[in-house]
Amino acid sequence: MSVEISVNLRKKIDEIKKKFPRDKSPILPLLHAFQDEFGYISVEIEEEVAKIVGVSPVYVREVSTFYSMFNNKPVGKYHIQVCGNISCWLRGYDEIVEYIKKKLGIEIGETTPDGKFTLSRVECLGMCDQAPVMQINGDFYGNLTPEKIDEILDNLE
Amino acid sequence: MSEKIKVTINGKEILTTPDKTILQVAEENGIDIPHYCYHPGLPVAGNCRMCLVEVEGARKLQTACSTQVRDGMVVRTDTPQVKEAVRQVLEFMLINHPLDCPVCDQAGECGLQDYYMEYGQYDPKFIENKNKKSKKATPIGKYVILDQERCILCARCVRFTRFITKTEEIGIFNRGDHSEVDLFPGKELNNRYTGNLVDICPVGAMTCRDFRFKCRVWYLEEFDSICPGCSRGCNIKIYYNPHRPHKADGNRVLRFKPRFNPEVNRYWMCDDGRYGYKFIDENRIMYPLKGKEEVYLDEAINSFVSLLKESIPDRTFYLLSANSTNEELFATKKFFVDNYKLENIFLPDEDIFTGDRDDLLITEDKHPNTNGVKAIFNILYKDLIKLDELRELLEEKSISLLIVNRHELPEDVLDFIKENGIKLVYLGTNFNKTSKAADLVFPISVFAEKEGSFINVDKRFQKFSSRLEPLGVSMPEWVLFNRLSELMEFPVYYSSYMNIFKHMISEVGAFKNIDLNNINKYGVLVEL
Repeated sequence: MSVEISVNLRKKIDEIKKKFPRDKSPILPLLHAFQDEFGYISVEIEEEVAKIVGVSPVYVREVSTFYSMFNNKPVGKYHIQVCGNISCWLRGYDEIVEYIKKKLGIEIGETTPDGKFTLSRVECLGMCDQAPVMQINGDFYGNLTPEKIDEILDNLE
Repeated sequence: MSEKIKVTINGKEILTTPDKTILQVAEENGIDIPHYCYHPGLPVAGNCRMCLVEVEGARKLQTACSTQVRDGMVVRTDTPQVKEAVRQVLEFMLINHPLDCPVCDQAGECGLQDYYMEYGQYDPKFIENKNKKSKKATPIGKYVILDQERCILCARCVRFTRFITKTEEIGIFNRGDHSEVDLFPGKELNNRYTGNLVDICPVGAMTCRDFRFKCRVWYLEEFDSICPGCSRGCNIKIYYNPHRPHKADGNRVLRFKPRFNPEVNRYWMCDDGRYGYKFIDENRIMYPLKGKEEVYLDEAINSFVSLLKESIPDRTFYLLSANSTNEELFATKKFFVDNYKLENIFLPDEDIFTGDRDDLLITEDKHPNTNGVKAIFNILYKDLIKLDELRELLEEKSISLLIVNRHELPEDVLDFIKENGIKLVYLGTNFNKTSKAADLVFPISVFAEKEGSFINVDKRFQKFSSRLEPLGVSMPEWVLFNRLSELMEFPVYYSSYMNIFKHMISEVGAFKNIDLNNINKYGVLVEL
């Protein structure tokens, strides 16, 4: 199965490639561009990126599975990533994540049946001053409480 | 030549060159530095952290495998700090490693076991649960079994497929303690050198599907030899099992492994050669046969002499084999060409032009010693005969006695021999259709059962010896020709292998630059 690359994505790929002096360098930004388009990084996408930068698919997969920012399977419309590192954990990660699990009826790593939410636990998001924190798609939310979570999630379409 | 520099390791002053790493210099001087990810045949990775050493002036311990030596460098590998660092690195490696040595095929030749004896915690501090990996005892490829939980992530296998075979099937995926060695999804381990992955894996993560559970490695003995699978002549070690003969269906030889030769195969060998060892113990001709009945050797030899005397050289035909050793070919030449005055002596082109070769090791000629035949008989490629034209040749020369060394004759030739009452004598190691059709069959010992030498595709003369007894009454060809010479009253008589070897070196022109007393362990180039 090959990946269908839209005109828009093709344009993005070309722009990214131009920014880097060496062929191998743009693996990460390319993976981001593909994830923006398809929502996750499939094996076929890894093969496609490998072709674009001229390395083996194994090489790209080593990169894409290393970083938790790349999803290796499809995620819901909103990807909730809760930080579980030390600051957030000390400030109530367990409580927060339990609340989300109960509210959405899913476990960590699962997606709601309607495909709206996916819940993940991630490493430090770099906002320890506002712990506990979570990231939903591109947006960050800190100083979380169950009430705040209700407010945030209920406002998502 | 680069300049000499002085390095001190553990108080010992060593003169060396600056292009080397601490680990290499230490190894050359008999100082053992523990390591997993470093392999002399692969690029340096520096990821296992086992080779930490103390370098004077450096703030932290340095990895010996990736630190180049400098003039005046002072290195210590034996301080308490180094030992403690290695001990802790090893404990980290064992965090998720199962304690399944009793059922692991690597036991006895495992890097973890070996270093744990010296650097073990013995009182491990780690009490958490072990991490489960996804693949346990999963076959990858035809010859390799993958056990992810035993892996220590040294990435030797990844580098082997990336830099040596360039097939890149294997990678390390995920991160931290979730990291696991695996194939790319949907891809197979599909190269012709997969056996090397088992060799270079320092632990039991990759074990050999062929060798697994046949015999514990500490029961095996080994000796050096040359792989007869193709004309590359890879240097190998043959592992055989003298202490547990009831194991592995009574087969003696259980595996081949490559042996380092910088001029031939470096550290590697191909799967075809490695797993082509089975003919040593299977389907062997062990006793002489006369008209399909086993007979005493004396009787068979007498019958052969009668056949040779009944026939005349013009009507006798000999098919040489490029599987014979140089010494055997030399004895063949003495007997048939010099004394019996045979002119119909040919090498068929069977398996010589297979077209199957690659840029690494595999050569197209599937015989170990075609160049030996060239050196001793001065046969050129244009002199080779085609087996499918053999029938016409036999007819044209009205042959009455055909002697075949190991080849499989085509059906039409076998039919022709039968119809015309041509006597067929077969010298060989294993049964085939031709041996079954022969009037007389002589058992020849295989390469692993005798001393000898081959000349490889690059004209490298390589000697090998053996520690296996020939099966049954099988023998090297030159021993057979000794017996025949006696009865034919020919003058040549060799009392021992060394005797025939010395004669051969002094008499064959191509071998004139071989120094009998000083044969390089990596072989000698000869002039052809």
